[in-house]
Parts: sequence; structure tokens; C-alpha cells
Amino acid sequence: MSDQKQPETQEKELICSSRRGFLKATTALTAIALSPSLITKAALQHADERLAAFFEKIPLNIEVNGKAYQMETEPRETLLDFVRERLHLTGTKKGCDHGQCGACTVHVDGIRVNSCLTLAVMQEGKKITTIEGIANGDKLHPMQEAFLKNDGFQCGYCTPGQIMSAIACINEGHANSPTEIREFMSGNICRCGAYPNIVDAIVEVKNGGMKL
Amino acid sequence: MENLLNLAAEDTDRTDGILKVTGGAKYSAEYQIPGITYGVLVPSTIAKGKINSLDTKAAENAPGVIKVLSHLNVNNSVPRYAKDQALIIDRNINKVFYNDQILFAGQPIAMVIADTYERAVYAASLIKAVYQKAPHQTNLELNIANAVAPNPNAKDYVRNQIDAYKDAEVFIEAEYDQPNHIHNPMELGSIIAHWEGDGLTVYDKTQGVFSSQRHYASLYEIDSKKVRVIAPHVGGAFGMALHSWPYQDATVIAAKITNRPVKTMLTRIQMFTMVGYRPETKQFVGIGASKEGILQGITHKAWAVTSSFDNFTEGTVRPSQFMYKCPNVNTIYRLVKMDVSNPIWMRGPGEATGMYALECAMDELAYKLNMDPIELRLKNYAVINPENELPWSSKFLDECYEIGAKKIGWSNRNPKPASMKENGMLVGYGVGSGVFNAGRSSATARATLDETGKLTIQSAASDIGPGTGIMMKKVAMDSFQTEGKEVFVELGDTNLPPAPTQGGSNTTSTVGSAVYDACTALKEKMVQVYHQFIVTDGQQHAYENFTFKNGAIILGGKSTSYTDLIKKAGLKELTVTRESKAGNERQKYAFNSFAVHFVKLHIHPFTGMVKVVQVVSAVDAGKIISEKQARSQMIGGVVGGIGMALTEEGIYDHRFGVYANNNFADYHVPVHADIPPIDILFVNKPDPYINPIGAKGLGEVSIIGLAPAIANAVFHATGKRVRDLPITLDKITVWES
Amino acid sequence: MINFDYIRMGSISSAVKALDKFPDAKIIAGGSNLIDLMKRNVMAPTKLIDINPLPLKYIHTTKQGVQIGALALNSQAADHELIKTKYPLLSMAINAGASAQLRNMATFGGNMMQRTRCSYFYDTTMPCNKREPNSGCSALTGINRMHGIFGTSDVCIAVNPSDMNVALVALDAKVILKSAKKERTIAFADFHKLAGDSPQLDNHLQKNEMITDIIIPENQFYNNSYYLKVRDRHSYAFALISVAAGLEMDGQNIKKVRLAMGGVAHKPWRLYDAENFLQGKTASLQNFEEAAKIAMKGAKSYGHNDFKLALAPSSIVEALLKASHLS
Repeated sequence: MSDQKQPETQEKELICSSRRGFLKATTALTAIALSPSLITKAALQHADERLAAFFEKIPLNIEVNGKAYQMETEPRETLLDFVRERLHLTGTKKGCDHGQCGACTVHVDGIRVNSCLTLAVMQEGKKITTIEGIANGDKLHPMQEAFLKNDGFQCGYCTPGQIMSAIACINEGHANSPTEIREFMSGNICRCGAYPNIVDAIVEVKNGGMKL
Repeated sequence: MENLLNLAAEDTDRTDGILKVTGGAKYSAEYQIPGITYGVLVPSTIAKGKINSLDTKAAENAPGVIKVLSHLNVNNSVPRYAKDQALIIDRNINKVFYNDQILFAGQPIAMVIADTYERAVYAASLIKAVYQKAPHQTNLELNIANAVAPNPNAKDYVRNQIDAYKDAEVFIEAEYDQPNHIHNPMELGSIIAHWEGDGLTVYDKTQGVFSSQRHYASLYEIDSKKVRVIAPHVGGAFGMALHSWPYQDATVIAAKITNRPVKTMLTRIQMFTMVGYRPETKQFVGIGASKEGILQGITHKAWAVTSSFDNFTEGTVRPSQFMYKCPNVNTIYRLVKMDVSNPIWMRGPGEATGMYALECAMDELAYKLNMDPIELRLKNYAVINPENELPWSSKFLDECYEIGAKKIGWSNRNPKPASMKENGMLVGYGVGSGVFNAGRSSATARATLDETGKLTIQSAASDIGPGTGIMMKKVAMDSFQTEGKEVFVELGDTNLPPAPTQGGSNTTSTVGSAVYDACTALKEKMVQVYHQFIVTDGQQHAYENFTFKNGAIILGGKSTSYTDLIKKAGLKELTVTRESKAGNERQKYAFNSFAVHFVKLHIHPFTGMVKVVQVVSAVDAGKIISEKQARSQMIGGVVGGIGMALTEEGIYDHRFGVYANNNFADYHVPVHADIPPIDILFVNKPDPYINPIGAKGLGEVSIIGLAPAIANAVFHATGKRVRDLPITLDKITVWES
Repeated sequence: MINFDYIRMGSISSAVKALDKFPDAKIIAGGSNLIDLMKRNVMAPTKLIDINPLPLKYIHTTKQGVQIGALALNSQAADHELIKTKYPLLSMAINAGASAQLRNMATFGGNMMQRTRCSYFYDTTMPCNKREPNSGCSALTGINRMHGIFGTSDVCIAVNPSDMNVALVALDAKVILKSAKKERTIAFADFHKLAGDSPQLDNHLQKNEMITDIIIPENQFYNNSYYLKVRDRHSYAFALISVAAGLEMDGQNIKKVRLAMGGVAHKPWRLYDAENFLQGKTASLQNFEEAAKIAMKGAKSYGHNDFKLALAPSSIVEALLKASHLS
């Protein structure tokens, strides 16, 4: 992230809208005036479902674990539901759906976020990494190895989120002591209580000094 | 029974470890079924009354909606419900969408099935219910007068004199309150139900696939064999998945009615009411001793919440009947039935609740006697179980006190309350003991050796987190004296040999023994085959003369690989299935696991914030089968106990009968920053009588006794006795300013 | 969640134009609070304007101090060398809030717009004047352990949940607000409002305005800053009480002081009278206790939050002791 004010040149007024069939950048503002109630009404009357779906969806270009996808998404679809239900990458978990547990942690352009509280449509052009994308073929990521060795999980449900968070925790420079690790990992709840083993795993990887 | 186990010392990774760290482990909502649809439940917003009208039209007409289920259209379509017309709804008969009655807030009143999750959620928000409200009760304090016995035949326990504590030279009386605790496993209640013809496949969140199978088969009165339940990975449960809940019935019914596969995931909010919880319990303990600290009497009473429709009962007061040597003990257990959802056992269950009160009371008594709390416990140490007068099969609780006290530095403790400071913080040390039944039920395991030398161990046990798979593997590894590369485990599927529901610290003792017996039987079979195809001298060699090691059967220096053995026999594989269960040893001995938890904590003198800085838990759970995972399980119980003591509380707004904190932001389970390093000390001495592997189980004792250790440490740090959990900082009020 | 209209804007001018045209549209940036509320059906905007492409992610020094774009991430600021060294109070406050993941999502503008965490506001089955004006305040006589003790009204006793806001109000921050027609700069302290009789409004932002910048004037508090957060667990929990303290010391003498509290009012609560008292005085336990006493004037509790009347002054003292290195 740059500290400098970004130049405002080459600004496009409107980048994307959910009423794509009706939009050109110049008519953006009138276009969004189209009431969704029209769409809803059409749907309620069981008018053409496909038409309704067409209105409701937006194209989405997204890269997940190094693979490019050209998909469509309803604006209300979260990134979490998108990866689980649409891409069938179920390693990313739904634990609370409200940003209160961290089970859904993924990396967006290398930064850890809660995928349940961001919309898929907001990730246009972004690179997403999920738990399925960190091993190198059959060779586990060092953090996966360390979780396995230190038994940093029990039921395994929070584990993908813990691992994604743990990698970021080191990359962010917030893994300099067990106390700091505990603080910066606190957004990942583990109900089985594997916390001490998780901290051990992170310390081990940090001390290993490997590039993550 | 002789203990033969001599486990390799080295740590071993979980059998499903790689799946779990790579995201490859599939939990119940994660199977890809073509044509899957999404079920979303609508909760009642009132606590008691009836649904006057339910408007589902907008939902039915919303895009993508396939069906809306409610009492208006389910009712008698389920044979089991239709057969039993009486309004019986208990934990065995959910009767979801059965009629218009509202029994608790957050009760499922309708379900939308749609083609996408987003559409189902939206349509569910369009359903409008009009209720006729009735007055509700959710406040335990206000309803204690209406408490009832758990069942008509229930008798209060009396050993000798009632309330004898009052006649003792020194006694204390105290009340202890514990709120609702919500299991809140990280995996939400999740299920996929898929009918193909009259056969049903259920990917389920369950602690027991066979109990789920029986339940779903009973709904439609079909043969259990028509129902397959699959649950190899369960994302935590802690008791929450001990039986099937209305959301699971609703999904099975929805799949039947729509003739499509249906997937349902509860929301975190729904996890507070649509599945169970540890019930709020009020307790009274009176306990008295001679001046020398010899216990004279214990009176332990409990009033526990349950729903209006089920007499949910647990063993809250039971430990007081046998934990200490005491001539006079009486206990009373009552239920307070209110307009709330149904409770279910939660880790440690009632014993965790009961021992919270008893172990706090012991600490209070020790202070009144001016005696070290460990000394008081040792003075009243029971060698014979005073309740049934049987000797314990094994009991090393005294050793737990000794090694735990040494590790935490108990001797550094100045017993005077509020006397110790460290870095500006008030320092408290506390101790609490745990006890739980060491059970053994019946399980069946299959051991199969194939022509490649691969050994597969199968039993339908669940693995909700303790590492059942690695436990099974380690028993097999030990039996076959191998490092385990060729040993594979399969579990969590009704197509496998039956195992009991995982719960009550029972699995290792039960399933581990079945694996042990199956492996022994397989080796015996191998010896038979050896005599048929390898030995040519016609001589019969005793089983004891054979050695099994690293993939070979060895007799008198002659080593034959398993592969050769099977090939020479002209077979594809050798397989045996064995059922294994407890015998009459249960009439001769008392079986229990024991633990002692030591806690050191800091309390900030200005804010009252409590920080646990060290925990030492010493445990007598017999032989430890897989030490790495047993340690993790113990640590997990400690973390749960820290939550129980300091942060967890399901809070009702009684005006509405609704939870006011039904989410992970407001219901505080411990986070990383709350958890200090935790030392686990295993006595690790095999129990000679319980089963062939000497293991007693530790899932419950890992948490039982931890909360009182913290409560006692808070008293030691501050001189303030907080008797209602959780011990939040506002109850401590030690502020110096 | 309804299937709202979504529009992604590429420039500030187009974003404010869109706001002007559609005053019922909501801006989405990090989304960590808005999506949460939409999932709970507490907010149901039919139009979302995604402003993430806007060039407002900067943190840089200006003549006045430091200027932070509304889209700068909370974590970006907390880890920023300039903020850590010159404005550590802000860094500490941000890191005391939420989780690492949420701080990677939450923007400055979004955090300012964060709505209360009062459970009655979130739960549509119970009345709430903030969510539904004139339906009643369930918290007044309900579960109000987390609730306000300063500037409360009979219609709402909810508190602003942000930690960042507490630091910003203490640091005399200013906010630049922009609409299609004009730009205005207001004091951060004037951005949020008390509930009064319009609890549905959290702040003075006009419907056609957006936040573009936060400016923190230069100060000399960096050696003596402390953010104390008292909560029910040691991380990832909202404040029962929080205190932001910044001191400019001349030996043991307090040259300048800024104090603010979180978890006590509908807005980040500046302790002006306590500051005035401490100005020019010696840093001492006695003076801090007196300041805390002054700060507590007018405090009122509602039952479950009675303890805050004792915890708050104690926390003020502790924060001052820490900031002045006396403890």
C-alpha cells in the first residue's frame, strides 16, 4: 500500500454495475435508478426466471489459488459462499458468518480477511488464496507441516482459518513472541482449545525463517 | 484382564491430519451432490404461544424457491409423527413443524428450500408469522418453587444422616450459580439429506452414526439398513451432536417432500436454540468437618433448567456421593421446567457443574479450617468408593495432587487471601479436582490384512476431535509391533462395524478394546493360516510362540512376510470382525478417571481483569494410548474450563424469553490471548481391570474441576468469593482507586 | 438479504454524484459492519455504492500533521511507521479493536460509520429505537451491561463501539466530508452525536456526503500515550470501558493532556473537564484520581452497568499512570 496520494488520472466514473444490460458509463446514474422492485415484481409473478437471474448477476473475474475464473455472481453473495458453494472449495469454513470467529479466513492479494464479511463481487480482479492453495503439490506448506507436527487442531474445523491467519501473522511481522502471536491470532477461535499447540506451531515456523 | 499394551513412545500424527490441514477433510455440509438445494430455517420470535397465521406466499413466490415447509404442510406426512398423535415432543421425537404450538423462542417454525443459499435466506425473511402470545417463564430464580423430581421414581440419595454437616464442628453453606453454556462447536449444525427411492443417505453432524441411523429410519418407519449415515469428520460437538435435532429432521423431511438433496447449515444464532446447551443450574452445598478436617457430612442440592417438554437429567450431584470419604451424604436433584429449548449434555456434563460447587465448597471449608486445600482433600481421600463400597479398579488421584502441586509451585503459595503480588498484579493459586465415570460399552471392530500387507482397521466410531482414528491406529500398531505406515483406519459410517456414540469419555476404552480384540483375533487367524500353508512339519505351535513385527510373522527365527503368508494361502485378504464389551468386572470394582487442575492467575488491581497465567493438570486416565492427542484433548478441556469459569454465559432477556447474546461477539468463548501455556501431566498407569488396553478415558475430566480451580484462585488473589459463573470483572470489584 | 443494486465507482466525483442522486444508497468500503448488519436484516439498503477503487488509501504527512484517506485500512495505519512513532495512541487503539482480519478490512471511514453493538439493535425480534424509531429502547431496563453512562437519553443508551474513534477524538482529529456540491471540514469530536431524540442517527454526516479524509494535527504525545481497553476477554471483545490518554510532559509536569473514553457514550467521549484540571499539574496518583472524579460528573448507570461508575474512574487513573510511566 502506497503512502502517497494516488493520482486521480484515468479515472473511470463507473466501473461496474449490477444492471449491466442497461448500462453504459455515461448513463450510469440513470441506470441505477432502475428500481429493483421491478425485477422483484417480475420474479414474484414468476415472469421469466432467467431474466430475473440475468438482472441479478454481475460478471466476476477472479483468481483463486492461481486459477482464473470468469463467473457471474449475485451482488449479495459473500466471498465465503462463493468459494464454498460455487467453486466447491470447502476448505474455507463457515463458523459464524459474521466476522466473529475467523474460520473463513482467506488471503485477498496476500492479506488475511474474513471472507464471510466481504462480497464476491468486490473481489473483481483480485487474487484469492484459500487453504487449498498453499501446499506445493503433495508437499505441505511449512505451516501445515507445523500444525500437523504440533497437533495444532482437534476437530479440524477452524484449522484452515488458523493456518491462513498464521501465515499472514508471520508475514505481517506480528509473530515476534508468543504473546504477540496470541494477540494477533485472537481473531481465530478454536473451540476444541488447540491454542497452545497452534502458538507452538507458529513459533516453530517463525524460528525456521522460511519464506512463506 | 491382563494389560498387554506396550506402546511406542514416539508421537504420532492424526490419521486425518493431512486432510485437516489441507482443507481436504469433508464435514457434513461439504459433500458435492448434484442438484443440491438449500434449506433455511425460520425461528419463532416469541417464547410461548401459538402461531395464529403463517404467511408463506411471498416466500413461495420468491425466485428459486422450491418449497416452504411448516406445520401447515408437514404434520402427518411423517409416519412416525402421524402414528403418535399425542403431543409428545422430547429429545427422541423432535416433531418439527408438527403443530402450531410455540414452546420456546428460536424454535423452527418453517423452512425454505431454494436452489441457492442466497435465495433461500431471502425467501425465509419474507415469511410472516402472527402469534398468539402466552406468558412465558425463562427465569430460574423465579421458578424454583415449581421444581420437580426428574421422574416419578427418582429418589433422593441419602447415606446415613441427612444434613449431618450442620452438626460438624466447622461447616460452610453456600449457593453456587452456573448459567447456560452453549456448546458452540466451530462447525455449525450441518446436514445433507438425500433420498434415492426409499433409501436415505445422510451426511450428518453426529457423535454416533448408528443412533442417527435409527432416528431417521424411525421417522419414516423404514428398515435401518435403508439409511446410511456418513460422518468421518465432525467439526467439534462437545455433546451437542449426541442426538438428532429438529433441523436434521426438517432436512430429511424436506428432502423427502421435494425429492431433492437438501443441505442445511444452522446459523450461529440458531446454534443457541435449535440445538442443546448445558443447562443453567443453581446449587447448594453444605459441608462440615471436625476441627482436624475430617469430613462429617455433605449436603448437595441442585436445581437445573430443562424445557417444558423434556425431563433432561444429568449427574450433577453424583460426584458428591463418592468423591470423598464422608459418613453422611445426602443429595437432591430437581428440574425447573421452563419455556426454553431443550438442554443436552455438554463436555464434563453434570459432573462439571456439580464438581464446580463441591470443589469450591471444599476450598471454602479449607479456609474456614485454616488448612491447606490439598491437605483437606488428602485427609478425606477415599480408597473404597463410599457410594457402592467397591474398591477402585485403579485410583492415582493422590499422585495427581502431588505431581501437580510440585509443577505449579504450590509451596510458594502464601495461603492468605490477597497476600501475593507480582508485577503489580494480584496473584492467585487455586486447585480443583475432577472425577468421571470410566466406562466401557460394546463395540465391534474389523481388522483386515490384504495381500499387499496393508492392515485396515474399521469401526463406525465418530471422531469429533479427540483423535479416535489415531487411537485406533496406535492400538493396531502396538498389536502388530509396527511403525504404522501400512495401517489404515476407517470410521464414521454406518457401513462399518457398529460402535457406540462418542461421548462420556467412553470411546478409547470401548472402541480401542474392540480394535485390540480384532487385532488379536486376526493374529490368531494368521497363526492358523501359518499352520495350514507355511509349517510343513504338521506340528502345532502355540500362539504365544509367534512374534508379529514390522510386517512379518516370526516363528523360531523364521520370518514370513504377511504378503507371503496371504499369497501362499491363495487368499486376497484375511479379515476378522470382533465385538468387544465389558464383563462382570463392573460388579467387582468402581471405575473412574481422575484429574487435578492447578491454576495460577493474575488480577489487574485497577480493572479486575483476570488473566490465567499458568495451568497444570494432572490426570489419572489409565494407560495413555496416544499421548500427543491425549495431551491436546486435556488442553482443550482446560480451555473449555477457562471459558466456563471466566467468560461463558447464555443471557436471556426474560421479558422476551430471548437470548440477548446469541452470537460469538457477545457469547465469549476464550480466544488465543486468554490461554496461557498449559502443562499436562499423565500418571499413565494402566488400569488392570477395565479392559484389555488399560485406558480409562479423559475427555470429561479434562474440564471437570477446572472452573472451581479458577474460582478458588480468584478468592486467593482477592479475598472475594464469587459464587456465580462466569467470574466477570464486575463481580470481582477489587479496584484500588 | 435482498438482492440490492451494486455499483462500483471509480472516482470521488462520480461517487458523490451517485450519493446525491440516490440518498438512500449506502456506501460500502470494507463491508465488515454493513454486511454483518445486512445479514441480520438490521439494514437493508437497496443500493450499494462500492467506493473501494477510489484513491483514498493514503497515509501521509502534511503541514498540519498527518492526513489519512478514508479508505486507508485500520491495519495499514496501525503498522505504519509514522503512526507508530508519532501517533502511537492511534496505533494502540486500532490494535485493541476487532481482529487482525477485520483490521485488514475496516477502513477509517467505515470504522467511523460503525454502528452500535447493542444486542437489541442487532436482534430484530426485540424493540429498538435506533433500528426502528419509536419502537422503544429494550436496553433501558434490559440487559445493559455494555451500555452508556454519559450523555444517554431515555430513548437510547447504546454506545459507539469503536476504539479507533476514541483515539481520534483524543487527538483532536478533523474530518473532511464531501458532497457533490461542497466540501467541509469538521472536528472529529463533532462528527458523532449523542442519541438525543434521534437515536437512529449516529452522526452528523449528511445523506449526500462521504468521508474523504481524517486529519490529525501534529502533537507531542508520542512519549506518553496509552490506550487501555477493559473487556470480558483479553482480545477480540468490545470495550466495557476504554481510555485513551495522551500527555505532553515537562519533567513531572503535565504540559498538555488529552483524554477520551470508549464504551461509555453514544459517541467517543472526550473528558474535557478532567483535561483542564490536569493541565499544568504534576503527574501523580492523587491528581489522576481527582481528574477521574471530575471526569465522572454526570455519569448515570442503568442496572447491569452500575459497575462502570467504579470501573471508569479506576480505568482513567490506570491509563494516566501508564501514559505517564508512573506504573
